[in-house]
Amino acid sequence: MSSESKKRGIFGLSYDGEDRVFGALKAVSTAIIVVIGVFPIYWMTQVSFTDYQTVIDTVTVVPTPGIFTLDNYVILLDPAIVRYLFNTTVVAIGTIITVVVVSLVAGYGLSRLSFPQKENFARVLLMGYLFSPIVIGVPLYQIWRSIGLLKTRIGLILALSAISMPFAVWLMWKYIQTIPEAMEESAWVDGASRWRSFRDIVVPQCRPAIIAAALFAFAIAWNDFTFAEILLPTEETTTFAPGILRTINQRQFLPDAQIMAVSLAMTLPPLLFAYFMQSYLLKGFQIRAL
Amino acid sequence: MTEVRIEGLTKIYEEAGNDIVAVDDVDLTIGEDEFVTLVGPSGCGKTTTLRCVAGLNKPTSGTIHFGDRDVTDLPVQERDVALLFQDIALYPHMSVRENMAYGLKIEGFSREERHARVADAAELLQITDQLDKSPAELSGGQQQRVALGRSLVRDPAVFLFDEPMSDLDAKLKAELRPVIEKVTDEIGCPTLYVTHDQEEAMTMSDRVAVINDGTLEQVAPPKEVYEDPASEFVSSFIGQPNTQFFDGRIRAVNGTAELSIGDYQYELAKDGLEGWDGDDIRVGIRPQHIGVSEDPADGIPAEHLLDEPLGDETHSFFDTEFGEVIVVTDPDFEGHNREYGLVLDATYTRLFDADSGVRLA
Repeated sequence: MSSESKKRGIFGLSYDGEDRVFGALKAVSTAIIVVIGVFPIYWMTQVSFTDYQTVIDTVTVVPTPGIFTLDNYVILLDPAIVRYLFNTTVVAIGTIITVVVVSLVAGYGLSRLSFPQKENFARVLLMGYLFSPIVIGVPLYQIWRSIGLLKTRIGLILALSAISMPFAVWLMWKYIQTIPEAMEESAWVDGASRWRSFRDIVVPQCRPAIIAAALFAFAIAWNDFTFAEILLPTEETTTFAPGILRTINQRQFLPDAQIMAVSLAMTLPPLLFAYFMQSYLLKGFQIRAL
Repeated sequence: MTEVRIEGLTKIYEEAGNDIVAVDDVDLTIGEDEFVTLVGPSGCGKTTTLRCVAGLNKPTSGTIHFGDRDVTDLPVQERDVALLFQDIALYPHMSVRENMAYGLKIEGFSREERHARVADAAELLQITDQLDKSPAELSGGQQQRVALGRSLVRDPAVFLFDEPMSDLDAKLKAELRPVIEKVTDEIGCPTLYVTHDQEEAMTMSDRVAVINDGTLEQVAPPKEVYEDPASEFVSSFIGQPNTQFFDGRIRAVNGTAELSIGDYQYELAKDGLEGWDGDDIRVGIRPQHIGVSEDPADGIPAEHLLDEPLGDETHSFFDTEFGEVIVVTDPDFEGHNREYGLVLDATYTRLFDADSGVRLA
């Protein structure tokens, strides 16, 4: 075969030429990801392990033995920070449970039962995406204040669940549609009630979707700033993101190295969660027509 | 034990304002340990009928009795039926053993009892060594055996099959057919088997119920359905290769009936045709009973198209004025696209009303 006949690639080059172009493009995109995405994490990590006075005085690259320290992490024992972390954890877990339970039931209903305006309901559901937390936050502030949910963790859990719900319900709906109805019918024939077949047959098979929805809800709740700032205006119940900002503003002296230490501690749980669940996550996102 | 009595079963679906009659006034009784096959083309209402019997669909009108028990309004959970689905529907997150024991678990049997029953069923089905595997590791045939086992352990009052073998290949089907018969014999309850495969219907059933457009055309033992079809539809649906049809006309001549197909006359030694003098009719005959004559003037002239040698016989295709005709010929037959005459054996012709398709003689 002549090399002319091989010039069929996207760029009209020979296959070898195409390979080189693709290789170069891959290197460039990798570099962009590293600079924008990984460098801040590296910076945060190295600063958090460096003696805070050194960070103030000079620019370091690696925490060498002379300046390496774990002292910055002592701030994690600060009562205010402990409270923020605790609140964030409670809110995140509460949001995950609410989102998973509600989306399972809603997704099941959407895929198995017929009710008027079902398709329109699903469409309206997706419109929830169009509203950013700050848009919903202000009216929610007034509503929560009048019904007594302001300054409570439950109030924040409800708000965070609400914004996670469109995605989670949609995911669950499409996922449950991939489970053949005959499986449930088979269970009913065996004498199982609808609830029992839902619990024994549908829910176990939804595990990838449950994990994907949980991770999504966790990411929303853990990283939320807007809702927490608006709905938890007092020091006692606020979560980490607004809490750390208030701490920085209020305290006379809070070294960068300690801020980095707290930030890294906050970053680790989502990273670990995503890492260990990634095989499930992929399955959860793999459904066609999503 | 119980028998299944279906009386006046009608199911109407409403779709976009239109009423679609899926099942129209079906009456069918399945005896205590009888195996009845409901056979028909896709969309004829056979699965809907079965789902009504199972309790998965609610009939628009009509009643269903299991023995003395009126189950028409009972939910599926309380009917004590077993149902095998086309897509097998084993639970992928449970082992084969758990799959088979699931029904017993719901009924509240002890762990020992469950395992003992599963072991017995597995032995009968020859899947004892598969019990700890997950369903995904099994072949299609083994999966259907497990599904059979799931029903077998429960000892149901009625056994229903919804095209359980349509996803399997021909060889596996032939292998599974005796297994299904063994299991239904073992349970000894009324069995309703839905299929579109007339071969399954013919080989397994005590009686075959042929359904078309939501209406039962004929309910009879397999041999009778084959030899004595009640309608043109039954005749065309049952049997391989299909019954061949010709347009004909009946004339009364000297006390006997004469059948003419185009320019060719046949004496018919059949009674009951007096009233049909001069009427257009449809003539059906099995391809096995059509003779091929070397003389085109003998019988219906036909041009040979092609041969399909099957080893023990050959299916030969001919072009006639009535369209393409298939004839079962001798295994050595080779047509070479010449002109032939097709001779119908008058004793095997079946006559049907040209409009309604109802059998005349």
